[in-house]
Amino acid sequence: MKAPGYFIAEALRNLFKKRATILYPYREVDKIHVPEGFRGRIEFNREKCIGCQLCSRVCPAKAIEVVQDEKGKRPVFLIYRCIYCGQCAEVCPAKAITLSKFFENIALRKEDLVVR
Amino acid sequence: MSFEVNIGPQHPIHVEPIMLDLKVEGELIVDVDVDVSYLHRGIEKGFEVRTYLQGLYLAERICGICNCAHTLCYCLNVEQLLGKDVPPRAKYLRLIVEELSRMHSHLLWLGHYFHTLGFETLFMYFWRDRERVMDMLELITGNRVTTAYNTIGGVRRDITSEIEAKLRKALDYLEERMKYYEKVIDNEPTILARTQDVGILKPSEAISLGAVGPHLRASGVKHDVRLDDPYSGHDEVPFNIVTYDSCDCYARVKVRLGEVVESINMIRYALDHLPSGEYRLKIPPFFKAPEGESLARVEAPRGELVHYSISNGGTSPYRYKVRTPTLANILSVVYMLKSRDGHEVYIADVPPILGGIDPCICCTARVTIVNGVNEARKILSLNELSRLYRERRR
Amino acid sequence: MIEEVLEVLVFPGALFIIVISLFYEWVDRKLYARLQNRVGPHLAGPFGILQPFADLIKLLSKENIVPAPADRFTFTFAPIIASAATLFVCMFLPVTGLKGILSFEGDLIVVIAILSLYSIVVYLAGEGSRSRFASIGAARGALQLLGYEIPLTLTLLSLAVSARSLSIAGIVKAQVERGLWFIADQHIIGFIIFLIAAQAEMERIPFDIPEAEQEIVAGWEVEYTGTRLALFRLSEDFELFFLSGLGAALFLGGPAGPVIPGLEPLLYTVYFLIKTTFILFLFTIIRAVFARLRIDQMISFSWKWLMPFAVILIILTEVLA
Repeated sequence: MKAPGYFIAEALRNLFKKRATILYPYREVDKIHVPEGFRGRIEFNREKCIGCQLCSRVCPAKAIEVVQDEKGKRPVFLIYRCIYCGQCAEVCPAKAITLSKFFENIALRKEDLVVR
Repeated sequence: MSFEVNIGPQHPIHVEPIMLDLKVEGELIVDVDVDVSYLHRGIEKGFEVRTYLQGLYLAERICGICNCAHTLCYCLNVEQLLGKDVPPRAKYLRLIVEELSRMHSHLLWLGHYFHTLGFETLFMYFWRDRERVMDMLELITGNRVTTAYNTIGGVRRDITSEIEAKLRKALDYLEERMKYYEKVIDNEPTILARTQDVGILKPSEAISLGAVGPHLRASGVKHDVRLDDPYSGHDEVPFNIVTYDSCDCYARVKVRLGEVVESINMIRYALDHLPSGEYRLKIPPFFKAPEGESLARVEAPRGELVHYSISNGGTSPYRYKVRTPTLANILSVVYMLKSRDGHEVYIADVPPILGGIDPCICCTARVTIVNGVNEARKILSLNELSRLYRERRR
Repeated sequence: MIEEVLEVLVFPGALFIIVISLFYEWVDRKLYARLQNRVGPHLAGPFGILQPFADLIKLLSKENIVPAPADRFTFTFAPIIASAATLFVCMFLPVTGLKGILSFEGDLIVVIAILSLYSIVVYLAGEGSRSRFASIGAARGALQLLGYEIPLTLTLLSLAVSARSLSIAGIVKAQVERGLWFIADQHIIGFIIFLIAAQAEMERIPFDIPEAEQEIVAGWEVEYTGTRLALFRLSEDFELFFLSGLGAALFLGGPAGPVIPGLEPLLYTVYFLIKTTFILFLFTIIRAVFARLRIDQMISFSWKWLMPFAVILIILTEVLA
């Protein structure tokens, strides 16, 4: 039978190391490091949109509705349905849709989770 | 005197609901009944109403941990239907992310397994190291878990040299940690006492029960889809198949640890020999696939994953079928849990045995009941279904 | 008269024991977390010191459910007896002086008896719940008692033989008179047996088989909620304090140490608490570095390893005494 407690040395060494936990969200919010290219919340540039409606047709989660405004058709993004796949940004011919690094997509009202 | 204990459908060791009805006498298990239908979500029907590109994201969400394997299998399937072949750089990039996701899945399983054995410290350490793998996945693909990296025709992003440098550093760190964990598992008598000689499955029994993946390789059978049917550059990147001969839960732990080390070596080789060129074929988002059927196999972290589809010329598949590895492995769990003469199974052995196959029940439940006698398919309303269920369970 | 009542109720009696047990639970959880590279409790109070109090108050505010088939009398009385017994037995520890509040000649036997009573209460609690998981947990708890009890008793008795006294205060006095703690001679074997057997008594990893969370969902405690569960949790904390204090008193000399006359109660308390914390550290480290054993492996381990060493210890003690 092997001697028990092989792990003790490592465990005791970790007692004196810095903890691996990041105390988010009450303290240390700035320690969260989000890399470039992270697929977060959608950001939409109305000026560039040409009204082709490709984004609405390609969205897997049916999270993009098309409404008519004074300049033509444009999309409305329902973030509460979005699955952050980035397909709409890929398919948009005018590059009007980008995915930002913002990931705290919670709100108390549905209106706060709609990007127009 | 035996009485019934049910492990599930809600239980601390189950990540997803599965019902194991055990008949026990004291601590010995005498009989087992299993029910995996708690997580049926109608995914195969969901494929039929979505276009091929939208179906990719549905396939990704069949399982959170094996999401890379599901998207890879789906893309291979659709590319076979279209008759297209991806460029070589895309094959290597797909291999890199697939192996990273295999490492992530095995580290998650190792942590969870030791948690079910009661060794919480090792659980925390494995998951701390898994964070490094998820950071790498986030750098490469944009998200930690649902990576959405494979697309029909190739991959969606390229690897830059900064990402490659960070990836190599993370691989060095992980290799060192894996060597240390291997030593701990070999030398700690409480772990050896709980995993050795528990859940014996001889090679002939494993093959006849249809086991796949690391579960099969832990019984000494050298079977791997990457070797038999190389699908994404696996014929050019050399790797070893990790098997172990003792056919018990200890073997399963060793096989998966060995596979993590193998994945590290494969990623390093692929990074060194990455071919240049484009990484994606131009395929329009809406297309009509030609008529025909196609089948694709992939070595998911849990075993052999099969996607099969029939197309009748439209923008959505006519029929799509997914056979996941856990469905193939569940039968061997039922066999292993019963006490046979000479080999006793206790209630305390249920977590090591059930955990040993790496159950991913959300992949498993995808069955419909077809009345085989007169070929009629009966659609039950919710009330009828709940009445039938209550009558059976009484 | 008033002094004695205050002694029993406040310090070093009931109130002190409750507060210090909850503090020691915090020490245990914090150390366990740091060994795992985590933070541990950190939100309730400075450094999370008030977390066990917060847990206790939360449990007291939950609904009290008695399962329909359960035996009401056993179900309610088991936690009361458990917490009362473990609170009572803490009063034998010599905290503020070389004698405890209730010390008398022969209290070592009373302590052993009440520790066994705790395990029997665990069995009653599990069977009284009339639930499948609770029955399995209760059976495992009673079986575990068979494993560790005899080596533990033999160890304590060998200390009594060396000290020529059957009371905890007498053993402390013997160490003071010898000038040498009992851990420094052949009783080191007894110390190791005591550490292992105490882990099994307190049902902590590697011996938390009766309440294995991952196999039988809290075992014999599974049907308890609200106030009854709070009492069981409190009894586990009292036991933690008691067994750490017992280890400190029997093997490390208890409150003995260099004194300044006049400040004796304070210094004795400080020394006792420091030694108790050291024993608690050992318990937590053992909890962090092992996996859980199966019940048959635990019984075979204790009869193959603990029993022979306990017998060797008592023979050695008889020979050297």
